[in-house]
Amino acid sequence: MSQPMLEIKNLRKIYDSGKEEKVAVDNVSLTVEKGAFFGLLGPNGAGKSTTIHCITGIAQPTSGEVLIDGVDVVKDYKTARRMVGLSPQEFNVDFFAKVEDLLDYMGGYYGIPKAARQARIDELIKRFDLEEHRKKKFQKLSGGLKRRAILARALVHTPDLLILDEPTAGVDVEQRHELWDYLRELNQKGKTIILTSHYLEEIQELCNEIAIINHGKIIKEGTKAEYMKGGKSVEQTYLEITRADDKKETV
Amino acid sequence: MNVIGLFTMFRREAKRTLRVVVQTLVAPTISAALYLFIFGTVIGTKIDDFAGVPYVSFVFPGVLMLSIINASFASASSSLYFMRFTRGIEEILIAPFSYLEMLVGFVGSAVVRALMVSVLILLAGLLFGAVSLVNPIGFFLYVAAIAAIFAMLGIIVALWAESFEQLQVLNTFVITPLTYLGGIFYSITFLPELAAQITRLNPFFYFADGIRTSMIGYSEANTTIGILVIAGLLLILGTLVTTLFKRGWKIRA
Repeated sequence: MSQPMLEIKNLRKIYDSGKEEKVAVDNVSLTVEKGAFFGLLGPNGAGKSTTIHCITGIAQPTSGEVLIDGVDVVKDYKTARRMVGLSPQEFNVDFFAKVEDLLDYMGGYYGIPKAARQARIDELIKRFDLEEHRKKKFQKLSGGLKRRAILARALVHTPDLLILDEPTAGVDVEQRHELWDYLRELNQKGKTIILTSHYLEEIQELCNEIAIINHGKIIKEGTKAEYMKGGKSVEQTYLEITRADDKKETV
Repeated sequence: MNVIGLFTMFRREAKRTLRVVVQTLVAPTISAALYLFIFGTVIGTKIDDFAGVPYVSFVFPGVLMLSIINASFASASSSLYFMRFTRGIEEILIAPFSYLEMLVGFVGSAVVRALMVSVLILLAGLLFGAVSLVNPIGFFLYVAAIAAIFAMLGIIVALWAESFEQLQVLNTFVITPLTYLGGIFYSITFLPELAAQITRLNPFFYFADGIRTSMIGYSEANTTIGILVIAGLLLILGTLVTTLFKRGWKIRA
């Protein structure tokens, strides 16, 4: 059995504002195998983004362990970060920078030499159909173009693990399908992808493993086939499970 | 060491500086030129040479220091605060930078801007005949060290601030008064003894004196104390900023 791409063991994340503590992620354990297309589902505020932030270094885990290809993201964070690419839910960029500069800076941060970086940027700009926009400031782009630029930025250092937090929010149907094709292609080439989305048809279309997080806890983890047992859609199963969990929580 | 990553940070700040060139380079150069015009041409011609040099050459190192401090502090504080504000800081957090590299990256970026400003002000100084350099290496080291100190103060303020207004607090209430009272426009020999003693407690006096010594070879401070003050501040602030980055204070959830 090969090393999983991602292993989360008993992860807890508590936000302490000084006045109150909020448990955002509560004892989460997850395993994502290499080459998986993994869907992480949950309502707003369930803990998806916090879990992603703990994996990528944007948040510090309160306790527990996160391993990327066996590398601890806290103890050996520099090695771990080289293996991950993140397309975040919110646009965390300098809005006044040009598209090609955003990719250039990110490639530079990951230590890619100039010639290789330039070749990679050209490749991504072409792949994401951003040629005529490469000299434009990020703020001047439409919502869909912004998403594409952010996704290109996540891929600039050719990470083994790609994390996509709501990557198609604000993207029109045609572009969404193009993006799906590209993500499938990446996955077929061996990239491990973790996807969060509120479009559950997207999860059903792309993912082969799915986990649901609610109130900071993993409440179901399984294959897509398990979610679709009895002719149900992923969305139906998702709603059944989260509603039951919400009721249990209320009681 | 992520050398390419660090140079990317420096390059990015240089580009950002040029993006707002009027604010970052033109304005400080005009201010410095006005100081030189007033102290060199208007007042300076009425004052005898001091310490064997024209008055304008005596005040020029202080004018330069003032600009270096402002450029470095503004670069680090505005850049980091803006990154916090837009969440652009996450680009740095997810990249393979150690906490020490983050320190070097942010400080180095601010020093880059301070050096750009310094070159322009030296050129302005040349026009007024105010520039001499008796110790170029010492001059570069003093400029870089002082820029680094104020870059680190800028980082601390950028992490602490919750509004654009708060970014100005330290500058308005601490940096500007201590700079003007640090003997940048006058010799402490002009002061009563008690005021001179108090000035010797002001670290800015040693910054100005260091640059002045390396430029015109005249010193009013104990150089060893000056070097210790600068080295001590670099060490203390460097340790503090690295610790804050490690803890992720205000930048990592």
